[in-house]
Amino acid sequence: MIQNKRWLRRSVQSTVLVYFLLLILVPILGIYVQGLSGGWAHFAESILQPIAWDSVLLTIKLAVIATLINTALGTMLAWALVRYRFPGRRLLNSLVDLPFALPTAVGGLMILLLLGPQSWLGSWLAGHNIEIVYQQPAIVLAMIFVTFPFVIRTIQPLLEELDPSEEEASYTLGATRSGTFWRVIFPAMRPGVIGGAMLAFSRALAEFGAVVLVAGNIPGKTLTASVQIYGNVESSNPSGAAAVSVLLLTLSFLVLWSVNLLTERKDAR
Amino acid sequence: MKNKTKLALSALLLASMTVLTACGSSTATSSSGDSTGGQDAKEITLILGAYSTPQEAFKVIIPAFQKQWKEKTGQTVKFQESYEASGTQARAIAGGFEADIAVLSLEADIDTIQKAGLITTDWRTKPHNGMITNSVAALGTREGNPKGIKDWEDLAKPGVGVLIPNPKTSGGAQWDVNAIYGGGLKHSEAQGKKDPAYAADLLKRVQKNVKALDKSGRASMTTFENGTGDVVVTYENELIGRNLEGQHYTIIVPNDTILIENPAAVVDKNADKHGVRQAADAFLDFLWTPEAQQAFADKGFRPVDPAVAKQYESQYKTPPGLYDIKYLGGWDQVRKDLYQDGAIWDQGLAGK
Repeated sequence: MIQNKRWLRRSVQSTVLVYFLLLILVPILGIYVQGLSGGWAHFAESILQPIAWDSVLLTIKLAVIATLINTALGTMLAWALVRYRFPGRRLLNSLVDLPFALPTAVGGLMILLLLGPQSWLGSWLAGHNIEIVYQQPAIVLAMIFVTFPFVIRTIQPLLEELDPSEEEASYTLGATRSGTFWRVIFPAMRPGVIGGAMLAFSRALAEFGAVVLVAGNIPGKTLTASVQIYGNVESSNPSGAAAVSVLLLTLSFLVLWSVNLLTERKDAR
Repeated sequence: MKNKTKLALSALLLASMTVLTACGSSTATSSSGDSTGGQDAKEITLILGAYSTPQEAFKVIIPAFQKQWKEKTGQTVKFQESYEASGTQARAIAGGFEADIAVLSLEADIDTIQKAGLITTDWRTKPHNGMITNSVAALGTREGNPKGIKDWEDLAKPGVGVLIPNPKTSGGAQWDVNAIYGGGLKHSEAQGKKDPAYAADLLKRVQKNVKALDKSGRASMTTFENGTGDVVVTYENELIGRNLEGQHYTIIVPNDTILIENPAAVVDKNADKHGVRQAADAFLDFLWTPEAQQAFADKGFRPVDPAVAKQYESQYKTPPGLYDIKYLGGWDQVRKDLYQDGAIWDQGLAGK
C-alpha cells in the first residue's frame, strides 16, 4: 500500500514536471534562443532601434499608470466587497472575474463603442477637446480593464482571514480608526496589494487584444511593445520579435520572482 | 482527504493527457481520411485558404462550382473554407495548414508558400499571370467629402485625419502605402523627374496625419466606421463592399493610383496528397469563368476577364494614371525600399 502511494506520488510529480517543461519552459526557452540567435550585437540592435525602444518604454510607463490606478481602486473594491453588506454584493463579487473570461479584443471593442467619436460620451469629450480613443488614455483604460481582477482577488482572502479580535483589541487599547487601519489592517493586506499589483503590471505589459484595437499604434506615441512584436511576426522578422519579447519576459520574470520572494517572507513570519 | 485530492489530481492529469493526444490524432485521421477519398470517390473535400475580402464573392462562386462539378463528374465537392488576413493565411499554409487552394491578396504571399516548397509548378503560367481579381488603391471619405480630398497630396494637408492599415502587420496594406509613395513619384515625375526623395517625403508628411495604424484593412474600415478619421486609404473593393452594405462613403480614385492584383494558386503538394488535384485545378480555372468574374465584380472587385470588365465599365472607370507594381520596381524592390527594418516606412515614423 505504501509502495503504491509512493508510485502514485512519483508519477504525479513527474507528470506535473513534464507538463511544466513542455507547456511553459520549452516555449519560453525557445524565445530566448530565437531572440539571442543573432548574437548580442543583433539583439541590442533589435531592441535599441528607436521604434522598438520607444514602444518598450511607453508600455512600461502606461502599465505603471494602469497598475497604480488598479491598485488603488482594487484595494477599495476588495474592502467594500469584504466589509460591507449591500444588495447586489454577491452579484458584484462574481462580476469581478469577468474580464478574465472575456476575449480581450471584446473589451477593447467596448471601450471603442463607449468612448468613440460616435458615442454620446465620446462626442461630449471631443467637444471639450479631450481625446481618448486611439490615444494613450485608451491604452491605460484597456490595461485597467484586463488586469482588473488581480488586486481585488489577492486582497480579498487576506481581509477575510483577518481575525476580528485583532481589530477589537486595537480599538480597546484606544487606537483611532485610521490608526487601526494603518497599524493593524493594512499590514495584513500589504502582501496582497503588492502581489496583486505586480501580477497586474506584468499582465498589462503583455496585453495585446484590447490594446491593438483602442490604440492608434503609431510608433513613439501609441505603439505598445506587444503590438510592435506582433508587427515583427507579421512582417516575418521573428528574431526582432523575439528580441523585444526577451526584454519583456525578463522584466516580467523579475517582477514575478520578487512577488514570490515577498510572499515567501510573509510565510516565514 | 489528502490522498483523495491527489488521486483526483492525477486522474485529472491523466484525463487531460488523453484529451490532448486525442486532439492530436483526430486531426491526423481527418486529413488522412481526405487522402483516401481519391479521385473516384463519391465525395471529396477541397480546403480553401483565402484572405478575408473575397469571402462574400465565394458565397456565390462555391455553390456554382459545386453544381457544375456534380453535373460533369457526378462527384460531390465539399468545401472547408478558412478566411484570414493574407499574410497570416500564407504563413499558416506554409507552416502546415493543408489548404488545397490559396487565394491571397498579393504575390509575395503566394511566394511564401512556394518558398516553403508546397507549390511546385509555375503558378504564373495560368491566365492573367495567375491573378483572379484586380482593384485599385482608393480613398474613402465621409459622405460628400467634407474635407475636399482629391489626391494623395491632400492626405498631408493640416487637419486631415488619415487611417492606413499598418503595412508591417498586414501585407495587403502594403498596396495602400505603395499607392501613397507611388503617388509622390508620379507627382514629381509630372514636375520634371521621378524623385524617390520627394515620394518618401510625401509619405512622411502623410504619416504625420495618421490617426491610427490598424492591424489590417478590415480593422481600419471598422475604425473609420466608428467615426475616427476623415479619410481611409484602402482598396476600392473594400469601400464598394461597405457601401453595398448600406454605408454612404464617398469613394475617390485618384488620377494616379496603383493597380492591385490578387493571385490564386493550387497548393500542389497538398492537393496531390489529398488526391483532389483534378477538382482543385478545375476550381482554380472556374475562378476565371465569366460566372465567377461577375460574382467578384458584384462584390466590388475589378474583373480580370476583359469581356466581363466591359460589362461593368460604368462601375469601374480606369483612372488615367493607373500604374502597376512594376512602376515601383517590382515587389522585391518595394520591400527593400519601403518595408525592410529601417527602410522608408520606418524612417518616416521614427523621425516623428
